[in-house]
Amino acid sequence: MSAAKGLFYVRLPEFVRTTTFRWTLVVSGAFSLCILLMFGFVLAQVYAYMTVDVDGLNAGIADNIVAKNALEARVERLDEYLHVDPHSVKVGGLFDAGGHRIAGNIETVPPELAPDAGPQLVSLVRVGPAGSERQTARAVARRLPDQSMLVIGRFDYEIAWFVHSVERALALGLVPALCLGLGAGAFLSIRAQRRVEEVNQKIQRIVAGELRERLPTRGTNDAFDKLAGLVNGMLDEIETLIRSVSGVGDDIAHDLRTPLTRVRVGLERARQNARSLDELRAAADQAIVGVDQCLAIITALLRIAEIEHSRRLAGFGRVDLADVVREVGDLYEPIAEDKHVALAVAAKEHAAVHGDRDLLLEAIANLVDNAVKFTPRGGRVEVSLHQSGHEAVVRVRDTGPGIAENDRDLVGRRFYRADKSRRCADGVGLGLSLVNAIVKLHGFRFNISGGPGCVAEIAGERAAA
Amino acid sequence: MALLAMEHLTAYRSMPVDGPAVLAEPGGKAAMPKVLLIEDDRETANEIMAELTERGYEVDWAATGIEGLDKARAGGVDAMIVDRLLPGMDGLTIIEAVRQAQIRTPVLVLSALGAVNDRVRGLRAGGDDYLTKPFAIVELVARIEALLRRPAESRDTVLRVGPLELDLLSRTAKRGERVVDLLPREFRLLEYMMRRKDQLLTRAMLFEEVWNYKFVPQSNLVDVHMGRLRRKVDMPDEPPMIHNVRGEGFILRAPA
Repeated sequence: MSAAKGLFYVRLPEFVRTTTFRWTLVVSGAFSLCILLMFGFVLAQVYAYMTVDVDGLNAGIADNIVAKNALEARVERLDEYLHVDPHSVKVGGLFDAGGHRIAGNIETVPPELAPDAGPQLVSLVRVGPAGSERQTARAVARRLPDQSMLVIGRFDYEIAWFVHSVERALALGLVPALCLGLGAGAFLSIRAQRRVEEVNQKIQRIVAGELRERLPTRGTNDAFDKLAGLVNGMLDEIETLIRSVSGVGDDIAHDLRTPLTRVRVGLERARQNARSLDELRAAADQAIVGVDQCLAIITALLRIAEIEHSRRLAGFGRVDLADVVREVGDLYEPIAEDKHVALAVAAKEHAAVHGDRDLLLEAIANLVDNAVKFTPRGGRVEVSLHQSGHEAVVRVRDTGPGIAENDRDLVGRRFYRADKSRRCADGVGLGLSLVNAIVKLHGFRFNISGGPGCVAEIAGERAAA
Repeated sequence: MALLAMEHLTAYRSMPVDGPAVLAEPGGKAAMPKVLLIEDDRETANEIMAELTERGYEVDWAATGIEGLDKARAGGVDAMIVDRLLPGMDGLTIIEAVRQAQIRTPVLVLSALGAVNDRVRGLRAGGDDYLTKPFAIVELVARIEALLRRPAESRDTVLRVGPLELDLLSRTAKRGERVVDLLPREFRLLEYMMRRKDQLLTRAMLFEEVWNYKFVPQSNLVDVHMGRLRRKVDMPDEPPMIHNVRGEGFILRAPA
């Protein structure tokens, strides 16, 4: 079995197995079939037409001769007809009642030719100066009143020649067309295969970590190019994301390194210089503060990641922002007072949105936290809720130093802090990123603008009443 | 491990804190509370055991979930500390099994998974409190004590600690004859503290329990609010009742 299989196993070239090639085969086959049918139809039509034409011609001549009264006139007319025959296709003969030829170029009356019936295809022998030859011809026979018989015919050379020409044209046209189709199929398949191979190699490289690689495009705007364009767009996005993530990684490293360095230096110095247990304890306390700061950074990062990856579902419901704003006001009022910053809360109207109450509270608390933190003593922080069209807008305005216009886009980025030197304020620089993540999760808008000071706004579509 | 801040603890231990939550047995004899610790990391377990033992607890350590489950079922345990990430098993499975066996021992869940959802899942599985690693060991001790001394659901409408009196119906507070005027949030804070008098309450505990918030505030919110409450409860000429344990939390105690 396997030997037989081996015998019949023919290794086809690679491209033959491609879909493109198979489709080309199918299309070529269908195309050839169409051509064949069309040629067949044309052939049949022309054949029928020519036959009718020839038969009409024969009948006309025969009737014309029969119409003559005298034998001589008939013979003369027949000879005249046969005389003008450059292609040697005309045959005709006048036979007496005994079947002997009186005039014409047909040897005998073909036996199968019935007189006064319709035109027929018969085999007859033509005699002439160059000898006799047997041919098939369309012919009619007429019996004259004197029992003599007139046969008028025409060789079917023309029809045969026509059929032959058509066949030749078909052969000349179809075979090259078929070959051309197969060739095109093979060409296309090989080309497609090459592109797939190219793409494959690029993808392998991308998978191997070469993120700068892009799929090849040829500027032809074909399906392959479009697909490659799409994939390249996706790769651009991924590359940007990865770069920003690694950028964040650098930021994290930097923000963790600063307190960790302080901790290390402090511990080292205490180990060498501390003269009493109390001094050592003080150093340890300092170290714990530093480590806690690092922990806070990590916790905040994890929290942002948690929010960014969560799907809005679980905690979502109807939230009255007025309640939330007032609650945040209550929460921060003592802190603002301690700092001698006036905190004014204006949330008289109710404005319900669809969201997660805890997260919205966290976001607004973060904004107020920031505002209070960055507003100098004697300043003022206003938290307000108002409605604008379909939206509920929470605005936190402070009289702090504000944020430069160039920096506003960066504000949502992790670890952004307008004044990097102002690290004495003990935020970890992630507050606004957190707000951003929460706002994004809700599909709300978050923007920061300048006034005197800083104005932060969260705007979200109001929930139906 | 550096986060189990042992140096820091010495400071705490030197604070005037009463001993462990001593449980009164029916016979009237006091027994050392027994804590079952289910934790696979030996180093962490050692630190926790050393700390709790020093504070007068009896600690039973189980390194695997199976062993822990057996010990929990054997009974005689007053509180359990269960790590979530045990080899081959989620600590929550143990808690669920324990609860199914109708064992009501309070459980503190330890986990490196700090996400809010993980916390909710931990509490839903039957945990009573949830602490995210890394944690300060004082936080762990404070929470264990809170679990052991969980206030009984009392029907009293008036809470009393020393001269301090809180009327839950009329929402009024008095210290001796002096009326203490409290805002609603301060009232809740004081109520929480009075129900847990003589216990160290950490900032995180207060923020979670009194404010019911799931996030960690950037600013020292709890301190500021506590400061206000303190100024109302403890007048300059009165012996202080709210004590700030530096860096760790607060204790409400009747004046000596």
